[in-house]
Amino acid sequence: MFTGTYVAQQLLNGVVLGSMYALLALGMTVVYGILRLINFAHGALVTVGAFTFFGIFVALGWPFSLALAAALLVGGVMGLLLDLVGYRKLRGGPEVSLLITSLGIYILLENFIKLLATPQPYAFRPPAFLTQLHNVSGVAFRTVDIFIVIVSVLIMVAFAVFVKRTKLGIAMRATAESVEAAQLVGINVNHVVAVAFVLGSAVAAVTGFMWGAKYGQIAYDMGFMAGVKAFVAIVIGGIGSIPGAMIGGFVLGLVETLAVGFLPPGFAEYRDAIVFTLLILVLLFKPTGIMGRKEAV
Amino acid sequence: MRRWTSLPGGVKFLIGVGLLFLVLFVANSTLNRYVLHVIILIGIYSVATTSLNLTNGYTGLFSLGHAGFMAVGAYVATLLTFPVRLRIAYNLPLLPHFLGGPDYQWPFLPALIVGGLVAAVAALLVGAPVLRLRGHYLSVASLGFMVIITTLAKGLKDLTRGAAGIQAIPRYTDIWWVYAWLVVTIYVIWRLLNSSYGRAMLAIRESETAAQAQGIHPMRYKLLSFVIGAFFAGIAGGLYAHFARSIRPYEFSFYMTFHIVIMLIIGGAGTLLGPTVGAAIVVALKYVLKPVEEGLGIYGLVEIVYALMLIGVMLWRPEGIAGGVNPLRFLVARKGERR
Amino acid sequence: MPLLEVERIHVYYGVIPALMDLSLTVDEGRVVALVGANGAGKSTTLKAIAGVLRPRSGRILFRDRDITRLGADRRVRMGIALVPEGRQIFSTLSVRENLLLGAYHRRDQEVKKDLEWIYSLFPILRERMHQVAGTMSGGEQQMLAFGRALMARPKLLLLDEPSLGLAPLVVREIYQVIERIRDASITIFLVEQNVNMAMHVANYMYVMEAGRLKMEGVPQEVMRDEDIKRAYLGG
Repeated sequence: MFTGTYVAQQLLNGVVLGSMYALLALGMTVVYGILRLINFAHGALVTVGAFTFFGIFVALGWPFSLALAAALLVGGVMGLLLDLVGYRKLRGGPEVSLLITSLGIYILLENFIKLLATPQPYAFRPPAFLTQLHNVSGVAFRTVDIFIVIVSVLIMVAFAVFVKRTKLGIAMRATAESVEAAQLVGINVNHVVAVAFVLGSAVAAVTGFMWGAKYGQIAYDMGFMAGVKAFVAIVIGGIGSIPGAMIGGFVLGLVETLAVGFLPPGFAEYRDAIVFTLLILVLLFKPTGIMGRKEAV
Repeated sequence: MRRWTSLPGGVKFLIGVGLLFLVLFVANSTLNRYVLHVIILIGIYSVATTSLNLTNGYTGLFSLGHAGFMAVGAYVATLLTFPVRLRIAYNLPLLPHFLGGPDYQWPFLPALIVGGLVAAVAALLVGAPVLRLRGHYLSVASLGFMVIITTLAKGLKDLTRGAAGIQAIPRYTDIWWVYAWLVVTIYVIWRLLNSSYGRAMLAIRESETAAQAQGIHPMRYKLLSFVIGAFFAGIAGGLYAHFARSIRPYEFSFYMTFHIVIMLIIGGAGTLLGPTVGAAIVVALKYVLKPVEEGLGIYGLVEIVYALMLIGVMLWRPEGIAGGVNPLRFLVARKGERR
Repeated sequence: MPLLEVERIHVYYGVIPALMDLSLTVDEGRVVALVGANGAGKSTTLKAIAGVLRPRSGRILFRDRDITRLGADRRVRMGIALVPEGRQIFSTLSVRENLLLGAYHRRDQEVKKDLEWIYSLFPILRERMHQVAGTMSGGEQQMLAFGRALMARPKLLLLDEPSLGLAPLVVREIYQVIERIRDASITIFLVEQNVNMAMHVANYMYVMEAGRLKMEGVPQEVMRDEDIKRAYLGG
């Protein structure tokens, strides 16, 4: 049977994965809230972040903190560019145009990375201090696991303070509620959307670093499933709710890890199928998710 | 020209079909195998894209799971037609007797249709919970469905031989099968659009609230278009399997869905022949660019070109490339103005 | 001196005309009312002035500057604030957050002071400061919408049917507030179906019908017109 240690180990893994989903869901839900866009390109930013860090840290040999800062910066700039070049022109048109465009942007980025970095995956070795093994009464983990959870929580707290306490953050929530009313109080909606893209994309890029550091490997297509699952997390948490997106991320990370850890061994390969079955079940029985309000059709 | 436009639609359709088959006949007897191969692929993708068009272009739903329905059709039809002499070697005697068992195999046509029907039933199961929600949920749920299907195809090794896939499928698909099905697909959708069902679907695309006010029950029509779309996607999958002669789970991936989406968008969503035009452009382009990609070693070039085309069309020509320039405008013309 | 001049604007919803050749002027320091039946184009007029809708032709001048092509947010910064029909407060935000957003574009140090002024104008908002706005009553929400618009320190306040759907007692209260705003020398352009209330506060009146201006004048004069009397006062 499953020992307490085994359960604890699975829970830890679930929380680590959940932290990363939560970060991605956070960035996606802010954009979705305003534009009603499922931004497939969000997943590509994970790949961009991972490869940026990899290139600068491994290939150029720069220090860890600089490489991480570069990933953050590149992610943010990419987010801004996507908004300005890709999405801004389409606003106010059919929502589906935004969705299709984001699909195109995802494919573009993924294949651009494939072209630059070759189709083979790369072994991703984080700096030595992150790979140190620890063992607390049988539960094994590396420093990177703790790093991911702590940094994720810090980012989420910072974001919560931002939307709760700053004028721009309040404006962001207001714009998500009604674009027209936001304009009428003098909010420059384009500005708010750009900020949402920059923040979300920068966080996604950092998540890319975490992903590589946790799983030891990066590839040009690593971001796709991560991005789509982040949207599943948003649905689970309840569309339109920022705390919901984060909770949904953790729930999804735990469900995915625990399902693989506790179902018979043959089920491990159904991992992704389990996630999407969960999505369809949530849509069937509780489309508003854990924290969400009913969304107008 | 005036005489042509004044002909009734049915006559024009028949003339069009006659011309198509005349051209195909000439092509079939003069062109080399390589070009015919491309023409057949264009036909298969046209069926898939036309069926996606029913769901996406006319009712404004956006399904991203089309490759999943194609996978269902491909696997079901393949299992049914799989040759008797190979069933033992492929461990397929495990199939229940009514599916062919170890002793006999189904003919192509019923196998294709059953494949389409199973895809349609799958669409019903996925669509029923999701279609009452905002359109986006359908996109993600159908994408999820595709992932579930490909994961199952990988996992159910006794049935599908897992990631290794099924090879040595008989090559039943030829140019006549493909284009006959394309004609059927276009005909069904054309008739559907000119029926009360079609008008209801278009009303839903324009405004769901307004449609409801006219007493149209959106859910029913959305589900119908989703299910019929899935049926023809299943057919396309079956045709594909019996053309490529081997299927593997990862072929029916997000990229296949993406290719069908881009064919639709480039050809012009919501037009009757746009999908075929789009399929021809995209498939032909692939055969032009693939040697360049391999020759220069720039892997990803084809997809980058596709993605740029898609983004470009969305930004500057949302009605699609075929929208305005097609000589068969009467069939390409949009039903109603799209906003 | 004219604060706002609307010159021969045409506004369409798709292909449907909503405003035809509309011109009007709002002088500084006055209360100007725009009345008319449902669907006459009153709200459309306000939306065009606020910048939510773009006229197909014609122009809009504010303090002698052409603002026809400016976005709504720019117009707020120039001093035009709209209290929209149906209030459109941010229902998931707190009362205080709603008010602070009213001053979104302001960089000056007097926002806190103005917040106090709003609280003194509407004491109920002070009590409800931290409450989520969507949970308040219709009248309270209307006061919040007023307060939010005033936080922009507007020179011109646009009011879209402030009495709509409110109990008579609340309507009276709202109109007392309108008078106090007028006394704070803020120009008001008011759209109303409740002609009785409108003629009470207005210095000047425009009457609209089917997207066009029908007549204009001081309220007493407008109300002497037999057609208008029959249409709006049931006599």
